[in-house]
Formats: sequence, structure tokens, C-alpha cells
Amino acid sequence: MPSWPALVSQAFNGLALGSLLALVSSGLTIILGTLGVLNFAHGALFAVGAYAAFVMLQYTSSFVLALVAGCGVMLLLGILLERLIVRLFYDRPDEDQILVTYGIGIVLVECLRAAFGGNAQRVAVPSWGRGATKLGFLIYPTYRLQLIAIIAMLLLGLYLVLYRTAMGLVVRAGIENPLMVGILGINIRRAFLVVFAIGVVAVGLAGMLYAPVVAVTPDMGANFMAQSFVVIVLGGLGSFSGAVVGGLIAGEIISLTSAFNSSYSDVMLYALMALLLVLRPQGLFGSEGRV
Amino acid sequence: MNAVRPRWLRACVSEFAVLATLVAAPVLLARIGFSVDLLTRVLNWGLIGLGFDILFGLTGLLSFGQAAFFGVGGFVAAYLLVSGTLASVWLALAAGTVAAGLCGVVVGWLAVRRIGIYFTMITLAFGQMAYFIENSPLSKYTGGENGLPGVPVPVLGLGPNAVRIGAGLPMYLLFATIFFVGYVLARRIVGSPVGAVLRAIRQNTGRVAMLGHNVAAYKLAAFVIAALYAGLAGGLLGSFQSYMPPDAFSLETSGQLVVQTIVGGAGTLIGPLVGAAVWLWLRDNLQLVPGLAALWKLVLGIAFIVLVIGLRRGICGEIIHALNERRNRAAANAAAARTAVIEAAGGVAAIAPARQAVDVTLPLPPAATGTCEIALEARSLSRYYGGLKAVDGVSFKVRRGAIHAVIGPNGAGKSTLFKMLLDEVSPSSGEVLLFGDRLTGAGVSRAAQRGIAKSNQLNQLFPNLSLRENLRVAALARCRGPLRLDLWRAADSLPEVERQVDAILALLDLAPRADTPVHILAYGEKRRLEIGMALATSPNVLLLDEPLAGMSPLERAATCGFIRDIARGRTIVIVEHDLDAIFGLAERITVLYEGRLLADGAPDEIRRNAAVQDAYLGGLHADEPA
Amino acid sequence: MEFDRRQLLLGGAGAAAGLLLPGVGAMAQSPASIGTFPDGVLADSVFVGLTIPLTGVFSGDGGDLKLGYQLAIDQINAGSDVARSWGLKGKGVLGRQIRYKVSDTEGKPNLDVQSATQFIQRDRAIMLAGSVSSASAIALEELGSREKVLYMVGIAGSNDITGKNCQRYGFRSQQNAYMAAKALAPVVAKALGNNLKAAFLVPDYTYGHSVYASFAEFSAQQGWQQVAKEVVPLGTTDYSSALLNIANSGADVFVNIAFGGDAIASTKQAEQFGVLSRMKLVVPNLSSFQDKELGAELMQGVYGSCDFWWTLQDRYPLAKTFVEGFVAANKYYPRWGAHIGYMQTYLWALTVERANTFHPVELIKAMENSKAAPYDTTIGKVYFRAEDHQMVRPIPILRGKPPAAMKNPEDFYDIVDVVDGESVMNPPELFGCKLGPYS
Repeated sequence: MPSWPALVSQAFNGLALGSLLALVSSGLTIILGTLGVLNFAHGALFAVGAYAAFVMLQYTSSFVLALVAGCGVMLLLGILLERLIVRLFYDRPDEDQILVTYGIGIVLVECLRAAFGGNAQRVAVPSWGRGATKLGFLIYPTYRLQLIAIIAMLLLGLYLVLYRTAMGLVVRAGIENPLMVGILGINIRRAFLVVFAIGVVAVGLAGMLYAPVVAVTPDMGANFMAQSFVVIVLGGLGSFSGAVVGGLIAGEIISLTSAFNSSYSDVMLYALMALLLVLRPQGLFGSEGRV
Repeated sequence: MNAVRPRWLRACVSEFAVLATLVAAPVLLARIGFSVDLLTRVLNWGLIGLGFDILFGLTGLLSFGQAAFFGVGGFVAAYLLVSGTLASVWLALAAGTVAAGLCGVVVGWLAVRRIGIYFTMITLAFGQMAYFIENSPLSKYTGGENGLPGVPVPVLGLGPNAVRIGAGLPMYLLFATIFFVGYVLARRIVGSPVGAVLRAIRQNTGRVAMLGHNVAAYKLAAFVIAALYAGLAGGLLGSFQSYMPPDAFSLETSGQLVVQTIVGGAGTLIGPLVGAAVWLWLRDNLQLVPGLAALWKLVLGIAFIVLVIGLRRGICGEIIHALNERRNRAAANAAAARTAVIEAAGGVAAIAPARQAVDVTLPLPPAATGTCEIALEARSLSRYYGGLKAVDGVSFKVRRGAIHAVIGPNGAGKSTLFKMLLDEVSPSSGEVLLFGDRLTGAGVSRAAQRGIAKSNQLNQLFPNLSLRENLRVAALARCRGPLRLDLWRAADSLPEVERQVDAILALLDLAPRADTPVHILAYGEKRRLEIGMALATSPNVLLLDEPLAGMSPLERAATCGFIRDIARGRTIVIVEHDLDAIFGLAERITVLYEGRLLADGAPDEIRRNAAVQDAYLGGLHADEPA
Repeated sequence: MEFDRRQLLLGGAGAAAGLLLPGVGAMAQSPASIGTFPDGVLADSVFVGLTIPLTGVFSGDGGDLKLGYQLAIDQINAGSDVARSWGLKGKGVLGRQIRYKVSDTEGKPNLDVQSATQFIQRDRAIMLAGSVSSASAIALEELGSREKVLYMVGIAGSNDITGKNCQRYGFRSQQNAYMAAKALAPVVAKALGNNLKAAFLVPDYTYGHSVYASFAEFSAQQGWQQVAKEVVPLGTTDYSSALLNIANSGADVFVNIAFGGDAIASTKQAEQFGVLSRMKLVVPNLSSFQDKELGAELMQGVYGSCDFWWTLQDRYPLAKTFVEGFVAANKYYPRWGAHIGYMQTYLWALTVERANTFHPVELIKAMENSKAAPYDTTIGKVYFRAEDHQMVRPIPILRGKPPAAMKNPEDFYDIVDVVDGESVMNPPELFGCKLGPYS
């Protein structure tokens, strides 16, 4: 049985991990909820974000500027993907959409490998994030603490866009009933484009922010994508708040189980996902009746 | 009939074609870069694909977890052989297949409760769980990330004359034989009554349940079939390459199966085989293109996206579609033309005036021969949705053999009441009794098996099946009970079912249109079919939800006559808005208003009832301003 | 067996450094045709099949490995001076050009087996090589022994490959985990101190456990005490949980057994958690590009061992020609993956010319008897041990250089010691090796 300090540190760590999962999953869930597309390219887009940060940091030493430029790249990529490919699949059955995003994922990853090679690229922690901070008995990397704050702000921003703007209202209505929104004369297709672009930027940002922490390789996103599937089920498919809360919970589960026996943390996660789907498929915040 | 060739020969064309391809493949395909080893692997994928196509192509359940069963079958067989527990490879293969099937029962039982993307996610979760369990906790048995090397090859015969099935052509022959047998079995399954039900489930799951089939059990059957095929394929893979790889369990394996099936064409049974051939061939041969090296995967990804965008039905699907179009074009055009004629004429084809009420031939449930006078009784039925009282404390009785109508203005709760009568929706309180026995809580399938059926307000048909096939699915329910795994007989081989279908076709006067796909039919014909579907289940109590909706006056008159015909020997409950028709048809009328029972009595009483008039005319009272 | 005048002449001329073995004898006992022999030996060429991950998580190492093979094959085919300096005669191997194909295995053992089988059946490969990961190596060894085709193991450090999964037709040149640990532990203890507290980060798969078991045993002999052992699943991206425990363990040394991408992520995060500022880092098996991927700031002062480092060129003339040739062809300094590919190819070619045949059984026997006549290679004199086909070879111990001391952008390590292989070999039966039959 791990000690109390160990459990507390893991619980805190779960918060950091969970906030990242929340950001990755929020993009996935709004795309799924609005467009009805389960985006199997999500992991690849995470990697693209990380590489975008890497490239931008060659031109500027300011991490923040690199982030902004990277967001621009992701925005452009999201718009291109939606306009050129994803748009053709709104009327096609679910499995075709899954397949085409799967294909896009493969193409993106291989493009990264062709451009940068298979070895890990170095993205350094920004200068204001170096070192570790002491929190009572716990020593924690400063950058990770900052990440929690940064991601919280980003999620808040996303929340404001979704819940306080007119476009956000359209998007949320589109999650409920896209047909109806179209009938009301609103250009639902433009809303789809916005949603897809936001989702891509969100996951790309997650990749950029996490690049200093993990190995930046073309295949880096696969693990995160699998975990974000669990998160969106946990939170409720299509629910933004569900993705946030679900991400935090998933992060806690991963961290706390690894305090006991890390080889089971993956099994636990998927067992939880299966359990939820059987007993309460709408997750925490999804709406009943959409089952 | 004057078939040019015997029926069995025509039916077996595809089997012969597959057999011929399997025999010719090593010779013909070798020239374009298919080695015997590659062909054997393609067959392995094709074998998994047969089961998967029954699950996905036929029943419409997309599973991302087939790798779990592939792995279970493979590792159980490999472990038994490598550890020396079993000496015979055939026994080990059987054990692996059975193990995979058992896992399929467990996982499937949990998974089929959910539909659509939730089902897919459950299978994904179980697939991943299996992968991580194989990798670490069970690594003593599975070799962890190293896999299990040293799996022996099968041996034919016994003792000193036994023939080892070595690599190359002998292995190919083994795989080809097993695949062919698997294919024949799969074709039988698809053509069986079970296959007909599964196909219907894909098109309209709710309707299948309403007809009396145990949908969850059928889905589970499809799931287990897929698991069995995957398990056998897994065991064969280990023996084939003498090595059971750990990535048999991975998500990528499941994903590759899905990709290959859709590229090759879902629902065609050989689609996964063709898809595997294309995918594996591209994989091998793109790498040989000079200059591509590591870029081959990029090219494959792009080719794949183009394929998915361009081919909506997959390669085989498009080919079969094109062939069917050409073969059936004349018939399809004629059918569409006829529909146009019917709709132009106000929806009524010439109806033979002297029509005998044809009795149903399937056995009725015991209650019909009982003495209970009250066929259907509602006791204090209520249904609340949050604060909204859709139905509030409604009680009434329907006498056996009567035509009973339920009317009321919009929003009165009629549809909700109807759903509760059938147990489609559970009441918040109260209960429904069918011939004196409690019906509430039995579920809509069991209700249908007990002899109560509904014709829906919005047509709930199987649009891509022919008229005859629609009715057959309905008739199969009562004849065979909620679940029957008759996988080997043909769907149209039950004489009493076919008699029932023919009888209903004659009753509906739709016999000439029997083989037309339903989506081509005229609206009026579809409405008739909707009633016919309910009739085909030989109900004692028939609920008709707005049977006259959307019909022209001519059609209405015809349908009313039709209803009177079928009312002989049955109890009918109708919800309708057309009050003229109701007053002409019904022997007793119940009026609902804002969820409560307003009046209940003979048509004349209801007609004169002031409260009813008020309700319909908007409830203006003398003391309120106009 | 083909005899032609040219072969007789070449054989008669003798080779430099007395590499000619006496006739291996008992030729009459080897079957005339076995596996792809003699079908695969054409008059002017033979085929070598390479199964290498070019995509997937091992693609970095895989690319390096591929370039090593290609350099050796190009040099041998051209009959260049380098090939001559190894002791080969003329162009190619026994006068035959080496044809080869590289099949991308994506790091999956199943695809290794699939591609290798294709090479055997379609191309009549006379030798198989490649693979990055012990799982692939085990599968390919098994395949080679079943099909009677020689397999020269690529990158694989697990004890099992020359242990319980050893095979008659497989030969491995890289040091196994036992050898690496036994060589490393005393050197590190001498540099950092005895009686230190050590915290281990172990990836949860056979290779990880294998390295841990070996290093724990030998470091304990140096008086080191284990205060933490964190086991993490393979492919973990977030090591916070494990690192928190390690940070709080009070250890003096952090032994990181994670490999590849896991090594990068775990080391980066270890630095962020302040583990590296409080503890010394020891990496029993350095990943190929770990130096460049982490950078000199993180890698300075790190102790570790691996198969080869390019500054060995100062010690061994063949290493010098290897490094020069590689840099000229590929514009970067080779890592040990390339070295394995390069050296294994030359060793095979040398053995063929010594035995004067491509017959796999003869080659196996020649290599098993190489103790009597060791090969002269990029790492000095080496030979294969007959009992388990593990190469007995020197083991470089490296220490990361501070950035200021680097003489060129890839000068990441100092070679602290080169430990003699003989002294650190495991007893052959320790890991349960039972070689199979020859035919």
C-alpha cells in the first residue's frame, strides 16, 4: 500500500495529466458531437501540432509566439482537411467517415516521417518554465504546473466560445439536431467547418504544449488518441463539459492505479470504459436517449 | 416453373466461382507478384472477414475488437501446442476456436445491448483490454511482447504415414479448403432465416423487435459467429508461420480488418478477401518501387483515401451493384413506372371486389381459445416525462373480437398510450393485461409472440428488401419463436411461412409487386404493407396507429373495407383522426384529452357527448371571452 | 558444391592475417541441398533479405541499421579497398554480387516473419538479416532454423536470444544484457562510488526485465543498494508517477532501462522533475540516437554502454574505414545500429570465403569454430561462442561529454573503457540455451 504522500503526489499528478487529456478530448468530442465524425486522425494531428511547435521554434525563441504561429498552421490544416475531404463524408455512413479519417491519420504521420525522419526531435522547455517548484513535500516541474494553468485558460476560452457566442450556440444546437439547424436557415456547413477547425487547433495546441515533455516522434499521438476515446465515453459523447471532467477523472485513474501497479493502469482504463458503455452509455454529461 | 438451369445450380454460382478462383489463384496471381505465402495470408484475413462480414456487412454492427478473438483463438491453440498439453494441431485449433467463441459470448452479451457508435466503442474497449492483458499479466502464457514461437504445423493422418503440411503449396491448400468450407457455411447462414432476420435488423432494428424476434439474441449469435471465425483464423496463423505474434491482439489488427472489409466491399462475404488481397499486395509491391522506400506507407495512405472517397460500396460491392443494376434494370424500371401510375391514379389499384377473408394458417397462442372476454385491458395507465403527464390514469377494456377506436385531439396522448399497450414504452404506473395476463414488462418482442401486433403511423419497413422478404421476416417470428438458430436451411424453405406470406400478399392485393424492393413502392402500397407486416405475425389483437394517414379518399374507403375484413376473428384497436371513418368502423370508442380518459362508449354516445365536442372544437365555454 | 578454377586459385593464394580455416571436415555429413542452398546461389549473385522497420516506433534505429547494411554490401560488391582490408577477395562474395531487398516491417514481429518468408520463397535468400527488437529477432531465429536459412541478428539485446530462445541458425553480435551489465557495473562503481543507493526505471517487457535483472545483480556486487524500482508499461508517455517515487527515494543513482522513445521521454521528464540534478544517470543500454535527441546538456556525465561508438575509430583501423565510409555516404556519424549491420555483413562474407561455400551448415560450423581463428573487425578480434552463438567481443563504456568539450556536433561521448568480452561472458547454460539440430 503506497504511503499517503505518494498517493497525494499521484493525485496531483493526475490533475496535470488529466488537464492534457481534457484538452485533447474536447476537440475530439465536439467534432464527434457536431459532425458525427469519430476522428481517427486525432492522434496524428497531435503529432502535427508538436512538430509545428518544433519548426516554429527554429524561427523564434519565444515559445508563446511559436504557439501562436503553430495554431495558425493547425487552423489552416483543419480548414483544408474539412473542405477537401471530410466535407464529402457528411452524408455517408459512419464507417466511411471513420475510415477516411483513419487514412488521413496515416498520411499525416507518414508525411511527418518523410519530412523529419523517425528520430525524436528536441523541443526544449521554455525559459520561463525551467526548473521545479516545491509544493510542501512535493517537488513538481514548474512547466507542468504552468501547463495546468494554461490549459485551464484555453478550456475556459473554448467554453466561452461555445456557450457565450452566437456561433457557439449554433454549434451546440448542431450537436443536438443538425437537420433542424439547417432547416432554420442557418448555414450549418459553415458551423461544421468552424467546429472541425476548432477541434484540430485544440488537439494541435495540446501537442505543442506537450512537446517539451515527451519524445517528439511521428507516432507520438497514438497513445493519446486511444486514451481520449476513453475520456469522451466517460464524459459523454458530444459533451464538452464531459470531456473536461472526464479527462480529469481519467488522468486521476491512470495516476492512482500506477501508484499500486502500473501494468494494470491501461487495463483499468479500458475496463472502466467498457463498464460505462454497458451500464451508463451516456457517460457523465451526455444526454439520455441518444443511445 | 421453367428454369433453364436447376435452381440449386443457379444458387451455387458464387460457390463455384470462389472455388475456381481458389484453384487458379496460385498459378495466375503468381505473375503479378502474389507468392503462395502471400495468398495464404490473404486467405487467413479472408477467413476472419467471413465472420466479420456477417457481423458488420449483414447485421450492421461495426466492431473494432475482432483482434481480441483472433488473438484468443491463436494464443490458446499455440499455447496448448507449445506447452505440450496437446499434440494434435487439429484439436488445438478446435480448442482455440471454442475459446474464442466463449469469449465472444461473454463480450457479445455485454456489447449487443448498445447500438451504433456505442457498440463500436465497447468492442474497442474490450479489444484493448485483451491486448493489455495479453501483454503483461498473462505474459507467462502468451510470451508477452515476444509472442509464442515454435508452433507446430498440422499433420494429416496418423502414425508413420502422417503427412506434415509444410510451408508453400500444402499450407495454401489447407487454408483454401478451410476458407472454402467457411465460405459455403457463411453463405448458408446468410441465406437462412437467421440471415434474413439479421439483414432486417440492419435496416430497421426496432421493427424486427416489434415483430417478435429476440433482437439481442440474434445480434449475439452474429457476434459469436464472427468470434468463431476469427478464433479459427488465429489458430491457423500460428500454425502457418510457426509463430504466434503479439500484435495479433492490437488495435491495428482490428483496424486493418475493418479497412480491408470496407475497401473490398462489406456485405459481399468475399469483400474482406478481396480487400486483403489489395491491401497486402499494395503493401508488398509498393515497397519494391525504387525510390519509394519508407514512403510506401504514405502512398498507400493516399491511395486508400482515394479508394474510400471513390468507391461507396467497396470493390466487390460496386461490381455486384453494377451487375445487379444491369440484370434488374428492366424490372426496376417497370416497377418504378407502375408506382408512378398508381400514385397518379389516387393510390388505388384495381381491387378485386369479391375477396374472401383469408384465414391465417399459423397457430394462434392459447389465450385465443380461452374464454376471457376481455382481449386487452388498460388499468390506470400513466406515463410521465418529467413534469409532463403524457398519459394520466387511463383505464379501459377492449372486448374480444371488437373494433375499438381511440380518438382525441392532437397531444392527447394516443401514440404514447398505444406504445404502452404494446409494451414498447413502460408505463410510469399502471399495467396492461392481454387476455387476462399481465403484459406490461414483457417487452415488445414477447408481446408480439403473445399475439399483439401494431401497424405504425410512420411506415416501419425494410426499404431495401423486397415485399415478399419483408413479409417473410414478419411471418418467421411467430412460426419459429423469438429465437431459433436454424442456420443451415434456406430462408424460404419453411412451407407454413411461405403460405402465410402468400396469403397476406393476396389479402393486401400486392401479389404482382411481391419482388419489388419496398423503397420503390407507392405510398399507399407501403401503408398496406405496414398493416400486412403486423398481420403476418398472426396477432389476436391488432393495433392500427392512424392506418388512413396520408391516404386519398379512394384509398381510405378501400382500407376501411380491408380493416373490416381482417377484423373477422380478431380484436382491432385503431387510433385515427378521420372521424367519419371511425364512426363507420368502430363498435366502441374511447376518447382521450390531455392524457386523461374523457369518454368511453358506443359511437352514438360519443358523438353526442358535449365534453368530447368541446375538446375537439377547442373547449370554448360560455363564460370565456371569444 | 561448385568448384571452378577461379575459386581454387583464390583459395590457393591465401588470405592476409591467416584467416583461412583448415577444411571444416565432415563435409560428407552435410546434406547436399538444404534450405535455399544451392538454389539460392546463382552463378553471379546471391540474395540477402533484410527485414527492417522503416516506419513505426523503431524507424529511427531502423534507418540507421539499413544504411549500415547498404554500406557493407556496396563495398563488398565493388571489391573496394575497404573490403580487401577486411580480408575479402575480389568483387562480391566468392565472386558473386550480393543482391538485396529491404522490407519494411513497421516493427511488428509478424511482418518480419511474413517478409522473411517471402524472401526465402520468392527470392531464395541465402541469408536473412535485420530486425530491431528482441521479439522480431526471436521470431526470425525460429524461422531461420525451420527453413534452414542463416539469420544474422540485427539490433537485439535480450539474454533470451542466445538463451532460452537460441537457435542453431541464428548468430548475434551485440552484447547481451548480462555482458553489458557485468562490464558496466564495475566501471561505473569505480567512477561514482561503491555502496550507493540506486533507483531503477524498468519498462515492463522481457527485455526490460532482463536488463534489470542483470544490472541489479552486478551493481549489487559493487555494493549498490536498490531503493526504488519503478515498472512502467511499454510505450508510456507520462512518467510522472514513476519519477515522483524515484525523486523521493533518496537514491544517488538513477538507472534508466527504458529504450528508444521511452528513453527520451523518461529522461526529459526526469530532468524536469529534478531527478537528474540530484542523481547521476546510468543507462545500461544506450539507445542509438539518444545523444542527439536529448542533447548534450542532458547527456553530460551520463554513464552507459552500447555496441559501438564512432570514436572507436581511433583504436581500430577497420572502425576508421567504416566511420569514414559511412560519413561520406550519409553525412552523419554512424550509430551502433549501422555498425551491427555493417559488421555482421562482413562477418558473413568472411565466413563464406573461409568455408569456401554458401552451405549454411558449413557456415554455422565455421562460425562456431571461430574461437580458433577469430575475426578481425571494427572492434578488434571477435569470435562466436559455439555453445550459444553469442559473439565474444569488447564492450565500450561511455560517458556523456559536457557541451563545451564536444569537438564536433556529434561528439557526444568519451570512451571511458573498453572491457574485454571474454571476462564478462555468462556461462552458456545460464539462460537455458539448447541449440537445435543442423538439419
